[in-house]
Amino acid sequence: MARIDDPIELELMWATLRSVVTEQAKAMQRTAFSPVVREAGDLAYALFDARGRIVAQADTGTPGHINCLAFTGQYLAAKFAGQLEEGDVLVTNDPWEGAGHFFDITVLAPIFRDGRIIGFVGSTNHHTDIGGPGVGVGANDVHEEGLWIPPVKLFERGKPSKLLFDIIRRNVRTPDLITGDLMAQVASARGGGDAVNELCDRYGLDDIEGLTDRIVDLSEQAMRKAIRACPEGTWTGETRFDITGGTVISLKASVTIDRVAGEVLIDFAGSSPQINKGVNVVLNYTHAYSTFAVRSCLTPRLPNNAGSLAPIKVTAPQGSIVNCTYPAPVAARHVVGMYVPMPILKALYHVVPDRVLAEGPGAVWSAQVIGTHPNGAPYTSSQFSFSGGMGARARKPGPSATCYPTGIGATPLEVLETETPIVFRRRELRRGSGGRGRSPGGDGQIVEFGVRTERPWTLNAAPTGRRFCAEGLAGGEDGAPGRFCVNGVEWHGEGKTPMKPDDIVYMETPGGGGFGAPDGEATERAGAEVPEPAE
Amino acid sequence: MGQHVSLAVDIGGTFTDVVLRSGDLIVAEKTPTTPDDLLAGFFTGVGAALARVGARPEEVDGPIVHATTVVTNALIERKGARAAMVFTQGFPDILEIRDERRYDMYDPQIEFPRPLVGRDSVLTVDERTYADGTVGREPSAADIDALCAEFAARGIESVGICLMHSYVNPHNEQLLAAGLRDRLPGVFVSTSSEIAPQIREYLRASTTAVNTYSVPITQPYLDRLETRLADEGFASSPLIMLSSGGVVGPATAGRLPVRMIESGPAAGALGAAHAATAMGLDTLLAFDMGGTTAKVCLIQDARPRVTGLFEIDRMYRFREGSGLPVTVPSVDLIEIGAGGGSIAHVNEFGLLNVGPRSAGSRPGPACYGHGGTDATVTDADVVLGAIDAAKFLGGAMPLDVEAAQRAVRRLAERLGTEPMATARGIYRIVCEAMASAVKTHASDRGVDYRGIPMLAFGGAGPVHACEVAELLNSELVIFPPLASVYSAFGSLVTPARLDLVRSGLRRLDDIDWRQVAEVFEDMEDEGRQALREAGCAGGEIEFRYGADVRYVGQHYDLMIELDGRPTVADGAAMLRRCFEAEYVRRYTICQDEVGVEVVNWRLVASGVLSTPPELGRGTGRQDGAAETRRVHIWQDDQEVRVLPRAALGAGDTLEGPVILEEAETTLVIPPGWSASLGAMGCVIATRT
Repeated sequence: MARIDDPIELELMWATLRSVVTEQAKAMQRTAFSPVVREAGDLAYALFDARGRIVAQADTGTPGHINCLAFTGQYLAAKFAGQLEEGDVLVTNDPWEGAGHFFDITVLAPIFRDGRIIGFVGSTNHHTDIGGPGVGVGANDVHEEGLWIPPVKLFERGKPSKLLFDIIRRNVRTPDLITGDLMAQVASARGGGDAVNELCDRYGLDDIEGLTDRIVDLSEQAMRKAIRACPEGTWTGETRFDITGGTVISLKASVTIDRVAGEVLIDFAGSSPQINKGVNVVLNYTHAYSTFAVRSCLTPRLPNNAGSLAPIKVTAPQGSIVNCTYPAPVAARHVVGMYVPMPILKALYHVVPDRVLAEGPGAVWSAQVIGTHPNGAPYTSSQFSFSGGMGARARKPGPSATCYPTGIGATPLEVLETETPIVFRRRELRRGSGGRGRSPGGDGQIVEFGVRTERPWTLNAAPTGRRFCAEGLAGGEDGAPGRFCVNGVEWHGEGKTPMKPDDIVYMETPGGGGFGAPDGEATERAGAEVPEPAE
Repeated sequence: MGQHVSLAVDIGGTFTDVVLRSGDLIVAEKTPTTPDDLLAGFFTGVGAALARVGARPEEVDGPIVHATTVVTNALIERKGARAAMVFTQGFPDILEIRDERRYDMYDPQIEFPRPLVGRDSVLTVDERTYADGTVGREPSAADIDALCAEFAARGIESVGICLMHSYVNPHNEQLLAAGLRDRLPGVFVSTSSEIAPQIREYLRASTTAVNTYSVPITQPYLDRLETRLADEGFASSPLIMLSSGGVVGPATAGRLPVRMIESGPAAGALGAAHAATAMGLDTLLAFDMGGTTAKVCLIQDARPRVTGLFEIDRMYRFREGSGLPVTVPSVDLIEIGAGGGSIAHVNEFGLLNVGPRSAGSRPGPACYGHGGTDATVTDADVVLGAIDAAKFLGGAMPLDVEAAQRAVRRLAERLGTEPMATARGIYRIVCEAMASAVKTHASDRGVDYRGIPMLAFGGAGPVHACEVAELLNSELVIFPPLASVYSAFGSLVTPARLDLVRSGLRRLDDIDWRQVAEVFEDMEDEGRQALREAGCAGGEIEFRYGADVRYVGQHYDLMIELDGRPTVADGAAMLRRCFEAEYVRRYTICQDEVGVEVVNWRLVASGVLSTPPELGRGTGRQDGAAETRRVHIWQDDQEVRVLPRAALGAGDTLEGPVILEEAETTLVIPPGWSASLGAMGCVIATRT
């Protein structure tokens, strides 16, 4: 029988749990059809205790998914308490209980040992299609955005629910790919459960409750300790940015460090109200990117679990764009969600000035080209994207052509040109577009393309940050705003736009903000320097 | 001497290993690497090996296979030449823009490696080839003149050319390269269509830049080697080991140094593959644990797995995505930050952790007595009695037991446990770390690691192998002879081989199979030429055909082997069949309804191998004194038998716990395991 309070035995068991989730996430990512899962690792995989608290998480994945899964797991475990049998598997893509839009489907399975539930394993994956109009801002309400899968059993006692699978398959454009990805989620949930049982066998445990309690407690203590090392007070930050179509969004965050409780409180009062476009963000997703921002500055190496997440509280007014209410459209919630960390970083500058970064364009610029070949066959390019520059750090420039908080790869131009008749004329760094500063902001890019065709084609693009630039920090200068032109003239279209055969698209993605006055020290340096946590 | 005499020389970071073979006689020699002139160590080691068997250079008539770290050194120390790149006009920043990916989501302080060729050494040329291979515009003679004038003015020694879509049609690259060679005869020219003819401009450009940067160092090095071997009267010329596990002549290698980067580890993997064959095993995990890292490679179908992409110069050594990508065939290795020098520490939760920080060789573990005070894996091994301090490196470097105990005791105080429990914890935690790295690596590749036999080598490998094996549910661990020079041995059992690749992005139902046949003929010609240069007769050359294939809609492809060269009649059916078989093997499912597309065509050209040596024959059993010592790995104060490795004779079985010692390493056989002698002189440990 292993001893939970032994610093060696505990580490060995904890390491095994980490290894289980990482291994299963890799296996799932490998088989995914969804390009964002494979390319960008847009997935989350986690282990929960019997009460639905998240205990260990794979180190792949994007913040949006990872931290949302913590809530979804807890929600499903509570909702189905007392109704689960061996072989059951739960599923949902509820935006408000999940990761904020229908594309993200969560699968969760109980782990049984000697007829008793000892925990859960589950994952959230971005799927290739969910019916509806695709990832776009055009819907008037959430129901226009595709298939809504309520929290239900996908498998009952090991048997797949034929009815549910039939409904899903009939409502998506690529039924085989969706089913394939769902089955990979189911297989990895089962694999994870088996591995947890093996761990119990090896260490002579009846369940993992003592182990997981200890992991959560230690993580929570470490998180609170890191918070208590910060100066006490409340600071605010605000970010304004324009999205495609010219709508201006404002996000306001007040960040309170409560040293007595050892908690960080983030409130988004004063942020823009929800709008009639699919960019609204559910609270789960806001919470996910808020905890991401706090943890990446305060405790980047602390593992993500119920303990390390507990001391961070996030609130936002109901009906605001960062806590939207039913039936707000949400399909492109990342457009606004990616900016959630920005006001928090500005506030945290007063707390840990050396560990934050200046603002940058939160979202990548994505575009798509649709048309027909000379023989009449249609073509549609992948959704391709280009980053702006990342904001500068206190002692390092912002990386060019790199995005924060997302960090997905760009599709190679040669691949795009092979898929469709698109021809790029230019792609280079937009020198000098990063804000000047003691540390300069990262540069954006200049991209120019047309289509080798004699037929009209369609452009689908979503540039953001053309009016408002990424602000510099501590006396650093602002990054240059973006430009998006067609044939040399600023383009103000929204969504799908018809183009003439030889139209040329020209874009300059925004630069990141600089850090510190260009010729000197940072002008304001507030707060104490908090030492990096030990390895 | 009557028998062919052949040599393998593996220049590593610390040691240069030489293995000489004359029939079944094998001699190993280890000498310090001489970084200022790597060839000095080469000839010191070779001289010593020849002296030991009393042979003269003229008698070396078999292959002289060479693996070297020369390219890696140039890249890591950034000591390469004054190199420049030429890109298509409009795309000067390919190397700086990378693929835009942030390899660490969480670290706001993230950094990326500096490109080998900076922006001020990049020029562009007005030209364009389209995705279908149509040339829209050729580079003009005037533009080539201007480029050359610029390079001459800057004293550029090596130029890389990477133009858009040159993997489909290399015409413009070849035109430009010819123009450069005419006008600047002393300058090395690398074209992306020769180095890495594959779609994806950043990967191709990065690979070409690495080659461009290292050619001016590597080519003179190989020239010097060839000349000196000839001058000293060696009867054969050298063969150079490639990252893929193939060997080629110096002329090919000198043109393609980017393919030599992982030559040392590739040789080790080949040795493991050879052992797999000798043992009659299909699948094997090669486990090489040294001073700072452990390297693991999967052997499948008795061959090392080869991957098409790896990274150099990582910002975070063990972090995927943090380095410069190189897309050439390479043995698929994982490197784990766990070695004898890995430092144990107390983490923020008050728990014991090991690595990835390492004490290296200076100051090294506390027990080295060079002033190190941190407790390392080797210190724990000494405290536990796994390693005999007096016999380390065959007694050449006695270890300071008290220093090891002090270091472990200090750590135990911080941890609040007993020193012996702490040492045992270090041992178990480092093994757990290695096992979990193997699990992730294996599941990432769709390989079931459970029960996979292990081959343990490297200085620290045999000490920890059985514990790691238990964590992988494995019941068989093989300890080969010559463990400390095993990589060099591996290169002696390697046939000449060259891996070739050509881009061919097409949906399966869209492929022109006549054109595919031409592509393969072209690759066969190139392979044949390189292998003839490596001394193979035409009739000895074998070809294996492969492709990188994926389902339409997937972004990553699977490297598969084909049953043969695809024909017009059955190409599509054969390809789909081979792809689905491999897909099911790796992912357990396949998608009948989804279309398939080919990304690249691959060809492996290889020569045949002379009979590999039989190791361990005729080494009669050596009686060892029945010694015991106190070992604390499994419980406190256990009396464990200790024997010299050579004391294990054919037919003997030793029940664990038992420790077998040899000059450079120690074989730890835990309770519940037993050891016996197997083929090739290997010690076989099995779980009973």
